[in-house]
Amino acid sequence: MLNVRDLKAGYIRGAPVLKGLDLDLARGDCIALMGRNGMGKTTFLKALMGVLPHISGSIRFLDQELVALPPYRISNVGIAYVPQGREIFPDFTVEQNLTMGRISKPKQRNESFDFIYEYFPILAERHKQLGGTMSGGQQQQLAIARALVGRPDLLLLDEPSEGIQPSIVQEMAAILRRIVEQEKMTVIVVEQNLDLVRRLAHHVRFIENGLIKSGVAVDEINKNPAIISRYLSV
Amino acid sequence: MEMTLLIGLDAASYILTLLLVCIGLVIIFGMMNVINLAHGEFFLLGAYTVVLLQQYALPFAVVLVAAFAFVALIGLIIEELVIRRIYHRFLDTILATWGISLALKQLVIVLFGPGSQQAVAPFTEPIAMFGITYSSYRLFVMGMAIMIAAITFLILFRTRWGLTARGVIANRQMASCLGVNTRRVDRVTFAFGSGLAGLAGAIMAPLMSVDPQMGVGFLVPAFLSVLVGGTASPLGALWGAGIIGGSNSVVAAIWTPVIAQIVVFSLAIVVIRLMPNGVTGRRKR
Repeated sequence: MLNVRDLKAGYIRGAPVLKGLDLDLARGDCIALMGRNGMGKTTFLKALMGVLPHISGSIRFLDQELVALPPYRISNVGIAYVPQGREIFPDFTVEQNLTMGRISKPKQRNESFDFIYEYFPILAERHKQLGGTMSGGQQQQLAIARALVGRPDLLLLDEPSEGIQPSIVQEMAAILRRIVEQEKMTVIVVEQNLDLVRRLAHHVRFIENGLIKSGVAVDEINKNPAIISRYLSV
Repeated sequence: MEMTLLIGLDAASYILTLLLVCIGLVIIFGMMNVINLAHGEFFLLGAYTVVLLQQYALPFAVVLVAAFAFVALIGLIIEELVIRRIYHRFLDTILATWGISLALKQLVIVLFGPGSQQAVAPFTEPIAMFGITYSSYRLFVMGMAIMIAAITFLILFRTRWGLTARGVIANRQMASCLGVNTRRVDRVTFAFGSGLAGLAGAIMAPLMSVDPQMGVGFLVPAFLSVLVGGTASPLGALWGAGIIGGSNSVVAAIWTPVIAQIVVFSLAIVVIRLMPNGVTGRRKR
């Protein structure tokens, strides 16, 4: 479904953060991308979404080449992005935030939000509240929900556990797990929080110096925690 | 009593006229953050559209719609050719739009000559009420200002297009990651703001001498109104126009227009000093 070949991308010309990265995903895969800070995890998601100024190589998704497409075209072929820091619209209500998630997608435009509210009951309860006045955990749910209303095939999550209390992280992992199974979604999640990774992902891939290195099944990590320290400890 | 009423009506007329001119600025300057020094020339083009089309004896409503559409088209072309390249370059915007302003003004002089032209009001019969008589066309202008402001706010706050535009302005990159073609939104928003300036010019044309300098007189108070009102909310323009227009016309009626100017500018400085983001400005990202 997603085939990335020799992807080089970065913020400044001549200084790529991603240095020829390869990755293949099949439909329904749910992988966690882990690695130390500055290795290119967030940059990789941004490259997929088309928001980086300098990019070369190939990203094939559902038989389309995505490199050099603007972000809105990439969104409309079926990739949704939940950025680090959530980036919800603080002055918009929950409902308006959700509307923004499908406003340019004619097929979803008249769908009701009920299926979203089923996963995230708190959003139904607060549908008239301004996004900016909600707690971190609620804003994160809103950002995920906003990505889902466009009915994407591939969901990119960047640090969904960031700034959220541990108990809520577990709850969110459970919700995400349900969504991935029921909506048959393909997911790439960038995450430092092992707890969330264990609950959500099937596979873990490690990223180092702008390249995706080995991968292991999540079960392996449970059995052998040394793998994690090899890639994550400083 | 009659005197107070007359001053009140004059103040209301000036406030609403200012509001009319402001609405386009609210969108282009307040929301899109583009300092468009050619805004006065968009106003001018709207007025000249009236002068030109009245020669063909078209109904006034048609003339107004045509002025809006024509200036919106001009705005669209200018956005595509110039503005889109300089959205984040503050000083370049001022320079480039000043250039556009000069070019448009000279073009008008080439086509119509430097002299003043006359636009005819569709009705001129004064209306008598409460012991005073007042120009019916001024009342019409006031009504139009309220209507256009209301329609613009409805479009911005109650339609899908308005939500999209506000989303793009609040967070361009996120909006585009959600599938919004931000370039198209920019184009349409700028054209809409330009069209509103043209419409304001067309509505004001019968009250003014239509000459190549007519845009300047309103440009400064309109920018001041938007600054004083604040750009956090488009509703700021209501406050701004009220403060600037109200103080100007009341002081001008009681003392002289010169003192009014001094009072208005001092007031604007004080307001902007105390509330840098304007009366409605809580914060500005």
